[in-house]
Amino acid sequence: MASFLNKWKPGVAGASNNASKEANKKKEEPAPELTPLEKMLQTTGPLRQDGSDKYFGLENFGNTCYCNSMVQALYYTTAFREHVLNYPLLTPADTPNEYKPKVNVVVRAPAENGSAQQANGKKQLTTAEALARRRQINTGQPPPGQQGVRPEDKPDTPEYKKKQAMLKGPILELAQENPGAFGMDECTFTGLRDIFMTLVESSTRTGVLSPQRFLEIFKRDNEMFRNSMHQDAHEFYGLVLNDVISNVEANARRLIEQEAKRAKDGLAASLESALEVVAKGTPNGTTSPGTGWVHDIFEGLLTSETKCLTCETASQRDETFLDLSIDLEEHSSVTSCLQKFSAEEMLCERNKFHCDHCGGLQEAEKRMKIKRLPKVLALHLKRFKYTEDYSRLQKLFHRVVYPYQLRMFNTTDDADDPDRLYELYAVIIHIGGNAYHGHYVSVIKTEDRGWLLFDDEMVEPVDKHYVRNFFGDKPGMACAYVLFYQETTFEKVRAEQEAEGLEEVRIASEKAGVAQENGQPNGQPSGLFRQTTTPISPTDDHNALANLDYAATAPVPPSQPVSLPATINQVDGVAEAETTKPIPTTKEPKKTKEEKEREKKEAKAVEKARKLAEKEEIKAKEKQRKDREAQLRDARKTEADNLRKALEESKKMAAQDEETRKKEPATPNTPTHASGLLNRANKGSKPMSKKSFGFLNKDKSKRDSDEGQENGQNGESSSGTADKHDHHKLKERFSFSIGRKKSSNILS
Amino acid sequence: MIETNNILSTPEDHFLAGEGTYVLKEDLHLATPPPHPSEAPILNPNPLATNPQPATAGTRVSLISLDVRAPPPAFFRLTSTTTLSPSIAEHPSEGRSSNDAKFSSDGEGRGTSLSDGAPPTSSLTAVSAPAFGEGNTLLAPEKTKDVNKRRKPKNNMTKSNSSFISRVIINEALTKKLSERATDGLFAFANINRAFQWLDLSSSTKADYLTKILFTKAHCLSHDVNMLTRGPGHMDVIMGFSTGEIIWWEPVSQRYTRLNKNGVINKTPVSQIRWIPGSENLFLAAHMDGSLVVYDKEKEDAIFSPEEEETKPNAGEDDGTAKGIDFKKRILVLKSVHSKNQKVNPVALWKLSNQRINAFAFSPDNRHLAVGSEDGTLRIIDYLKEELLSLFYAYYGGLTCVCWSPDGKYVLTGGQDDLISIWCPSEGDGSLIARCQGHMSWVSAVAFDPWRCDERNYRFGSVGEDCRLCLWDFNVGMLHRPKAKVSVRHRGSVSSRMTALQRAETLGTTTSATRIRSNSALSTADGDDDDKISHPVEPRSRTAILPPVMTKQADKDPLCWLEFTEDAIMTSCNSGHLRTWNRPSDSSAQADQSSES
Repeated sequence: MASFLNKWKPGVAGASNNASKEANKKKEEPAPELTPLEKMLQTTGPLRQDGSDKYFGLENFGNTCYCNSMVQALYYTTAFREHVLNYPLLTPADTPNEYKPKVNVVVRAPAENGSAQQANGKKQLTTAEALARRRQINTGQPPPGQQGVRPEDKPDTPEYKKKQAMLKGPILELAQENPGAFGMDECTFTGLRDIFMTLVESSTRTGVLSPQRFLEIFKRDNEMFRNSMHQDAHEFYGLVLNDVISNVEANARRLIEQEAKRAKDGLAASLESALEVVAKGTPNGTTSPGTGWVHDIFEGLLTSETKCLTCETASQRDETFLDLSIDLEEHSSVTSCLQKFSAEEMLCERNKFHCDHCGGLQEAEKRMKIKRLPKVLALHLKRFKYTEDYSRLQKLFHRVVYPYQLRMFNTTDDADDPDRLYELYAVIIHIGGNAYHGHYVSVIKTEDRGWLLFDDEMVEPVDKHYVRNFFGDKPGMACAYVLFYQETTFEKVRAEQEAEGLEEVRIASEKAGVAQENGQPNGQPSGLFRQTTTPISPTDDHNALANLDYAATAPVPPSQPVSLPATINQVDGVAEAETTKPIPTTKEPKKTKEEKEREKKEAKAVEKARKLAEKEEIKAKEKQRKDREAQLRDARKTEADNLRKALEESKKMAAQDEETRKKEPATPNTPTHASGLLNRANKGSKPMSKKSFGFLNKDKSKRDSDEGQENGQNGESSSGTADKHDHHKLKERFSFSIGRKKSSNILS
Repeated sequence: MIETNNILSTPEDHFLAGEGTYVLKEDLHLATPPPHPSEAPILNPNPLATNPQPATAGTRVSLISLDVRAPPPAFFRLTSTTTLSPSIAEHPSEGRSSNDAKFSSDGEGRGTSLSDGAPPTSSLTAVSAPAFGEGNTLLAPEKTKDVNKRRKPKNNMTKSNSSFISRVIINEALTKKLSERATDGLFAFANINRAFQWLDLSSSTKADYLTKILFTKAHCLSHDVNMLTRGPGHMDVIMGFSTGEIIWWEPVSQRYTRLNKNGVINKTPVSQIRWIPGSENLFLAAHMDGSLVVYDKEKEDAIFSPEEEETKPNAGEDDGTAKGIDFKKRILVLKSVHSKNQKVNPVALWKLSNQRINAFAFSPDNRHLAVGSEDGTLRIIDYLKEELLSLFYAYYGGLTCVCWSPDGKYVLTGGQDDLISIWCPSEGDGSLIARCQGHMSWVSAVAFDPWRCDERNYRFGSVGEDCRLCLWDFNVGMLHRPKAKVSVRHRGSVSSRMTALQRAETLGTTTSATRIRSNSALSTADGDDDDKISHPVEPRSRTAILPPVMTKQADKDPLCWLEFTEDAIMTSCNSGHLRTWNRPSDSSAQADQSSES
């Protein structure tokens, strides 16, 4: 049991005293039973630096599940997490004496049986309040007369599991102001970064995080979330990303201004600091944190082609998107809904199109295609539909199936990599009968621990098939609401599928076990027999091994040291012998075990070498493949061009036009009047992406022309700030100064 | 309680295809049984509950005729052509020729009675193919010349006190009905969750099942009827369950035997089960852990331990475990059909991958097996030689269903990319003929319409989770690939391709002489030897897209099965509706003509 205590002993400075007290206390009581998640994590190696092995629940402050489910999904979006953690690059001015700004974390003592504990006097009130509030929500307003068994007292209910999670702790509380860290004012971005930072720096793998301050900041900046009502998780997603973009950009602007000021003060000083930053930035292995990283991850480009039916003039306009809101149909698939999204649409009657060519409102045909595919594709399933009969949002319980992998059919002909393969990695689920009530949870595929269910404070491993429970046709009103797909490669998917095969077998046999007779005669209730939680088969150790194998095939996170110190037990290969032993520590092994230990080390070395070789091989293969790919793609492209040329010899002019457009995809397309967009927006349930980022389009034409000069990918392209032009000028002016180097480091 | 009822057709329910109007003739509703009282209630109040649920497979039906009917026209034509000569000349010393040679010679029976989406066997090719497990004398069945003296399963179903079977309801007038029915009528067998029904579709009271079996907990996921041994007094039915268990059932005598009892050989659910064509005793079951297992209906179970791969020349590289096997290159023969140890089940066991197998189909020439898996792979296996011939990939997502064209040239797969893909396995890298786009959700079943196929034109149908029935036409000349490059690949005539296949078969590979290397951007190939078997995903820009000729919402619930009969298309849905869509009749066509003139 010692290992277990070791594991959850909070290591955050200042709280160790508290924690050891806790530990003593727990020794007297029977140790709480391990949750399935803890069981799964029992045989793991040392903590990782990149935070990919932290599985924390998030505390619910009353209807804040929209936030919890989405924050979890964002945390496990690897690229996003890494960028958030690494922004902004610290300048020497920010870190005097190598002091890195710490997040203001308070470790709250785990609550005991629902009543706040005295140990941490300061936080007592909040704890009590939070618990009370949560109970109220979770029990779903229990009838006042019935005081018998509360749901949270029944094992196997989510309420019980959440309560257990709170009891177990550690509860990392982010409740205090943390102004001025990294030189940034407190904003949604810093709030989010504090959460991520706390998780990464936590010395435990599991626990509960209380994102109080983040919510406070977010509500401060977003008025419509200021009540305690049920909110839309997708809307939250849009606003958070939007906030992060503007926060980061504001910071970049501030830095530039600062720099400009400093440049005035003395060129030499600024040069020095600039060089320092560059020197500091590279060895850290951090990618140069420009402001455009949110766009790089989530942003795609849509082209809407509108053809006026009167004069037959076709016009195109490009729009960026951070997610796609797709209409649903009964018994359809996400693939087909995406096709519908790109299907031709008539603009007529009230939705007529303003044609520049023939003037005035005309009937037109419009279709939207994807010109640039994003790295992370967020699909918002429009389950909430405004019905005029009820004058309220109704939830659609259509059965919409979603595959584990996806490719997009609705790309433009000149799109780059139109066959890009996506894999599903996060599903935000809405449970409830309409848009005004309910609960959000998320099911997320973690890097090396498979799929996990995040339900506020509770985190639970689930099998892959569980992800398919939310098509919308199962009882319980739980439906997938936002789907996150991420870019992947065919080889990765293959390798993963092969690895998960063993797990698959276990699940399949487990299911078989459920349906199998257990020797009892007919009619006898055997419900209790099967009433256990997610069954853990006796082959658990074996599974852990399988999981570890799987981990080995996953790409190594960049920040992880390549060779681990030999004193740290690497679990691979020796886990079988180790399973009964405590969590690996750096302590010296006993002398009696020296022999054994040496053997193990040898085995380890062999294992390591093998793995390294494997990795190398994979890398080489990957590279080889990529080269071939590139070659082939080029060849194909030229071929295609040649053919097209040959075919369109007669229309030489047109062909040339296309050729040039192909070469310079960033050249502005014929900008159209904004009414096209507005028309679409008028049509009832308009896509969220357009609503929340609609203002980005205001300076569209300007930006389009800007894009020719800028890379189009850096944050400038869709800053959405009013003083964008000034900003641009600033940058231009600045680029003449010596500080250029530094600014480019920040901006690009 | 009436558990089945018959809804009269409404004339409005019809759809139009090129050949005329199909009319909904009837809708037979097979009741979905509620869970057994001992079962935990399915309606768990917590939608996030993680307790595992048994697998389900909707309503799967097989139609059986005991009678000799005229085979579909396609077969007549095919048998008369010379292009389809037996692909491999049979060695005169290959002693035991296939059993069904005799049967097919005495009546083409398989032509009309299709089972579970399997394409009908062409008698011609069946003659040529050697029997499975040939040469292993241990597998040769004892000859029972007298058809009426077929061996029956051990246990009496009605008197059974097995806890596996909950209830058996037999029609009181079963024997009377059986003796009075027309010999050319269709029987239907259907599995729907824990129920299994036997119906007589030729009876006027077809809604009254002949027998209904309710199992306790296990869900029946698939079943098949042996075409070889069927007769008025005997039918061999096998059923595969969500527990991995298998039941051999003889409906006339109501006797049964349990195989793989308590999952002693394999514990994972049986997603599909079929009799091996031409065999009285052997059948193949696809388990969800990615293994294909051959069982003998009359052999006892024994705990299975993998045997050495003795028949494989390249067996040296592995130690018989699942680790380190590259499933892209080969299948793992854990027990060969040629093993000398054939006293007990399994007869053979092949591991294809670690991913679950969703469907498989035997080729009409009884040589090949097409297997579709959840990981999106289509494997073409020479099951006589126990060798992997080709490996193809879906565009994305898993493959859910698979079938062969009546002439064995093409394979269709349907999957979670909403597409049906047409493959020509003998063409190597160029084998993806077209992708068929028209379903709005995952495809759940595909089948050729042998009555509307000939040498150059093919008709097939598909049903999907979008509740739609789609009909598709393609012909060999029509499908030009929109490839950017001028194809060096020589797409030969039917006959030349067949010779290519023949050659390939004798060489033990499917490499065709004209194949060119195509390292597509989506290539999986990471080695040259691998290249011959594993074929990359074709990018969209190089693939022909085929639209359906007809699409129709055929039911209110997701469809899960379809089959073509001589005079109708039949579909079934997840909630148990078995619908019959009559083909356009000549009389109505004539009526149309006369009204026009």
